[in-house]
Amino acid sequence: MRLYEFEGKELLKKYGVPVPDSRLIRWGASDSGVSTADESTPSVLLQSGGGCMAKAQVLSGLRGKHGGIKRCCTLAELQEGLSMLGSTFNNEPVHALLLEQVISFSHQYYVSFVFDTDTRSPMMILSAQGGIAIEDNVTSGTGTMVRIKIDPLLGLQEWNIREAAVSLGLSKEQTARITPVLLSFYRCFEQEDAVQVEVNPLVEVSAGESAGAFIALDAKIELCDDGAYRHKERVYSPRVAGFARPPTERELLVKEVNAKDYRGTVKYIELDGDIGFLAASGGGSITCMDALMSCGGRPSNYTEFSGSPPTEKVYHLTKALLSKPGLRGLWIVGAIANFTRVDETLQGVAQALEEIKPGYPIVVRRSGPNEEEGLEILRRTAAACGLDLVAYGAEMPMTKTAKILMDKVNNVNGHIKENTKENNTIDEQEQRSVC
Amino acid sequence: MSILVDESTVVVMQGITGKEGQRAVPLMKGYGVRIAAGVTPGKGGQDVDGIPVYDTVKEAMQRHPEINTSSIYVPPFAAKDAVMEVVANGIKTIHCLTEGITVHETAKMVQYAKLHGVRFIGPSSIGVISPGKSRLGVLGGFNETIDKIYQEGSIGVISKSGGMANETAWIVRQAGLGQSTVVGIGGDRIMGSTFTDLLELFEKDTQTKGVVLFGELGGTYEDQVADMVQEGRFTKPIAAFIAGRFAEQMPQGIQFGHAGALIEGTRGLPSHKIQILRQAGVLVAERHDQLGELIKEAI
Repeated sequence: MRLYEFEGKELLKKYGVPVPDSRLIRWGASDSGVSTADESTPSVLLQSGGGCMAKAQVLSGLRGKHGGIKRCCTLAELQEGLSMLGSTFNNEPVHALLLEQVISFSHQYYVSFVFDTDTRSPMMILSAQGGIAIEDNVTSGTGTMVRIKIDPLLGLQEWNIREAAVSLGLSKEQTARITPVLLSFYRCFEQEDAVQVEVNPLVEVSAGESAGAFIALDAKIELCDDGAYRHKERVYSPRVAGFARPPTERELLVKEVNAKDYRGTVKYIELDGDIGFLAASGGGSITCMDALMSCGGRPSNYTEFSGSPPTEKVYHLTKALLSKPGLRGLWIVGAIANFTRVDETLQGVAQALEEIKPGYPIVVRRSGPNEEEGLEILRRTAAACGLDLVAYGAEMPMTKTAKILMDKVNNVNGHIKENTKENNTIDEQEQRSVC
Repeated sequence: MSILVDESTVVVMQGITGKEGQRAVPLMKGYGVRIAAGVTPGKGGQDVDGIPVYDTVKEAMQRHPEINTSSIYVPPFAAKDAVMEVVANGIKTIHCLTEGITVHETAKMVQYAKLHGVRFIGPSSIGVISPGKSRLGVLGGFNETIDKIYQEGSIGVISKSGGMANETAWIVRQAGLGQSTVVGIGGDRIMGSTFTDLLELFEKDTQTKGVVLFGELGGTYEDQVADMVQEGRFTKPIAAFIAGRFAEQMPQGIQFGHAGALIEGTRGLPSHKIQILRQAGVLVAERHDQLGELIKEAI
């Protein structure tokens, strides 16, 4: 789970990382804007000298570059900053604004703790050229970055930091001051079960009594979902990582269905296509998304069910999936399951189909324990409800059925191919054009 | 030959009394695997299907010194302790089925295993099968599926996905070939054994004439294969399928499928993996069902 800046900074503070004084202003529950209790805060910040920074709390990156961060020195500027609240940034609604004290700094650094798949270890990435400029370097892997491998059994060591400091050309005094801050970052990274802690920039204060001190001006933290059981105190609002939008009704519904029963997993992410996609297993589902899209199919959603979910869970997932308007086809697909009972899961699918009775083509490929019984359940449902459904088992490779579905969808108003010759037809077509 | 498991494999099952453990016992026993002991803290003295259960790995090893392999089924919160315990007790081959272990704990287990020269498969590994010889975990499921899909042969299979390990072994079988060893390595961000770790073993294995890989978006484990082949450290034919190209058309940062299946910047892009694998001479299938024919022609 990706955290908003203010949530990330709260975590950093907990581990002793200095962050600027700030106030969080939330979009009022009544949608009337800033709540009255917070109204005095901005002017207080303005009076403290140097003005304040108004920062839109969104999950999209590149806020600095694209106007999501505004410096406010006058009341008029502050009003303008506050107007971001309730607006959208990069299509993402701004539900909260962080007003922060302005920090004058002499240097900005980039610091990140991540997991590196080459060394299979945590990695500290540092650069002495932090700020907006580095964002392109981070994604492209160029620029002057110092990468320090951390032994996961030892955690970040002071000598790791000394090595990094030498590479960055930090003075003895700077090294002494940055060391406790970096150690705090690592403690946060480890103890909060984060998969990423990125601070850009970490700045060196230029004036005043705290001159030379290091302060984190931003925080991008991604938590490891598998660690959630150790952090029951957390109360973060639901969010769909990667999407600049709040979860949809169907996504929330499936999430709830999934949480209600510990057996098996069902996942649902809404996309903007028109082909219903009901796939089993993590690897199988992404393999099939590729196959569908390479045949010109536009998935209405991404789904995955795995680990032998009970009939009811699959029923609710299917129902949610089918409730999306505008579907033109449905692909129910899975590899040869190791354990997931094909009859139990397809029973759930059948129940939902029986209720909704879709008029568009449905293609099924599923194999594994009780395969014949499972496919038979669907065929019976199809016959009883007059569905346009064809079901295959292990003999038909999974990814070939994407084209079978798309041919049906595209011909749905024209002629439909002769069913008995379907296998041969597909193979012949394939030799002409591999989709 | 074959890799990782064969007729000499003698297993201790950690977490044998749990749901996952109890499910694996009849499958492994039914395939003729010798499970000498089980370990579940607090349940010493019980037995599961005639297999004695001990509180500690140490006791199990004292009573059954022939144990040479561990297969782990404990819940995620107990996994790190279980792995550390069995590594400290000198077992050199460990398979871990447990899913949902935090990345921090996995990194610790993997590092500890590495320091002790242990071959660690997983976490989130569905299992390992050397057809006709031995199996760990639940890969292949019930024995009727096993007999349909798995047959002793010349193709090694390595898959990040459990379900797709079966499907990939089946595609090989449909091409009229058999398998030397099929391994589900799990799709976690940090993994105990990567493609290249196992390719090293397949290179030395005389039974293996070629290898089929099921890779995914995210991480750099597929990229390492390209380097390995380029540098001549692996010389047998490889056919690979890399899943997840669709994700390049989606917003970044969405978790599709496995924990490790995440594109970050340009790292982990399937199209990049496919490109460098092809440059190195690996046969990359456009669609998964083409893998069988590709490897058949190459060997």
